Amino acid sequence: MDWGKIKFFLGEVFRNFTRNAGMQATAIGTVAVTIVLLGVFLYVRASIAHLGNDVFSQITISTYMKSDATSSQISAVRTALAKDLRVASAQYIPKKQGLKELRDRMKGQIDASLLTENPLPDKFRVSVRDPNEVPAVAASIRKLPGVDTVEYGRDVVQRLLQLANVARRVGIALIVISILVAGIIISNTIRLTVYARRREISIMQLVGATNMYIRMPFICEGLIDGVLGALLAIAVLAVARASLVPKVAVALPWLQMNVVQVDLSSLILQLLAVGAAVGVVASWISVGRYLRT
Amino acid sequence: MISLRGVSLVYPNGVRAIDGIDLEIGKGDFVFLVGHSGTGKSSLLRLLYREMIPSSGEITVDGIRVDKLRRGRIPTLRRHLGVVFQDYKLLSDKTVWENVAFALQVTGAHDKDVLRQVPRVLDLVGLAHKARMYPNELSGGEQQRTAIARALVNNPKLLLCDEPTGNLDPANTTEIMDLLGRINLKGTTVVVATHNQAVVDRMRRRVVRLQNGKIVTDEERGYYFLGLGQDQVLSG
Repeated sequence: MDWGKIKFFLGEVFRNFTRNAGMQATAIGTVAVTIVLLGVFLYVRASIAHLGNDVFSQITISTYMKSDATSSQISAVRTALAKDLRVASAQYIPKKQGLKELRDRMKGQIDASLLTENPLPDKFRVSVRDPNEVPAVAASIRKLPGVDTVEYGRDVVQRLLQLANVARRVGIALIVISILVAGIIISNTIRLTVYARRREISIMQLVGATNMYIRMPFICEGLIDGVLGALLAIAVLAVARASLVPKVAVALPWLQMNVVQVDLSSLILQLLAVGAAVGVVASWISVGRYLRT
Repeated sequence: MISLRGVSLVYPNGVRAIDGIDLEIGKGDFVFLVGHSGTGKSSLLRLLYREMIPSSGEITVDGIRVDKLRRGRIPTLRRHLGVVFQDYKLLSDKTVWENVAFALQVTGAHDKDVLRQVPRVLDLVGLAHKARMYPNELSGGEQQRTAIARALVNNPKLLLCDEPTGNLDPANTTEIMDLLGRINLKGTTVVVATHNQAVVDRMRRRVVRLQNGKIVTDEERGYYFLGLGQDQVLSG
């Protein structure tokens, strides 16, 4: 590659690119919309991962002892829990303390003095390191001698997991669709350029230019569309983040936005890569279809 | 230079454009392909530069088996030959110089080759003084000379011309045919498909006559019409 060749090549790319300014703008805009969607999704997902961990860490297994459980059985359960590596912590709550907690919680709603005797069993409040291990840990506790019932809000856990799954699938579907749309629009833009230059292309083929050589300017055009779209999207996302995140942090303090650590530079690189890939693949396909004789 | 053995070309609609042709054209030959429209002249040329693939038969051009050529190798074949058309196929937004240089640049030629070869061929076709003009500022003959310069800039050993004078008046036609004759004298094999009687009769070169996709006659120093002067005239 000498300078003359590079100059000729860049000239071809530039002429292509400026030929259909309106179409190029459309392509870049579509890519930008797609990348904004993707960026929001990735950002929110990174944030939610934190949030989800918080919620799941609050899931505890309530282990209720039989009312006739002996103190040796209780200490055996305590030892078993202490030995279990999956257990993060286990707190023993004797029935007296349980009643006190209940009274505190129900204060003003029911007259606790009506309770003449303590109906509560002794219990352990067990928290587990990995939320996915909760059902297995609960099952193994249930088998211990002296244990009556085990509760961990199975429905809540499952619903949370389902919700997270549905949200992720909807997000991925949206992104796949928008990437397809962006690809199709870039591909159409390139096809217009190809069509406008069909005479040149046929002459190139006639005088023995390789298909790779003919393809390159169009691939570059798609690449430029993709990268410019991604840059535009990143700018939009940066502005949105700077203006929205503080407001969200004020409105929804429980989200603890300031705790969220999203790796911004890798996010930006990912978005640029997606934009570039969409541009290259889309233009590759549309030129390829034309060159196949 | 060119060898065809039992070559046929059948279009998807069943039309036999070329029907079992055997043809040998030697290095440095000058050959006219004649016959009226739709008789397979253009199809035959298209087979030679692998715009089309024969349905059957063997085609060899400059040692390359064209019928078996993989698509990725087509550019190699095209650099061995030049093609000229009735409608010139020039790029209207490029100057004469750029149109000719384009053919070199898109094959990845170095700048210094472009600077050496373009003036050489523009000199050959006599357009050095019009290098900066655009095609629409030129006469038809000059446009065709530009196209010929472009076809020759790669130094091909074979020049294929499909009705090169179809759009030209008699004066320009003579000019172009003289140019093709001079190119042939320099050793380039020239194949011209034409239905211009005057051109063929004036040049007195080998004439291969096609009819319905078949070669009906093949004469050295032939005329456009078979057996001219013997009252045996094929309508054309």
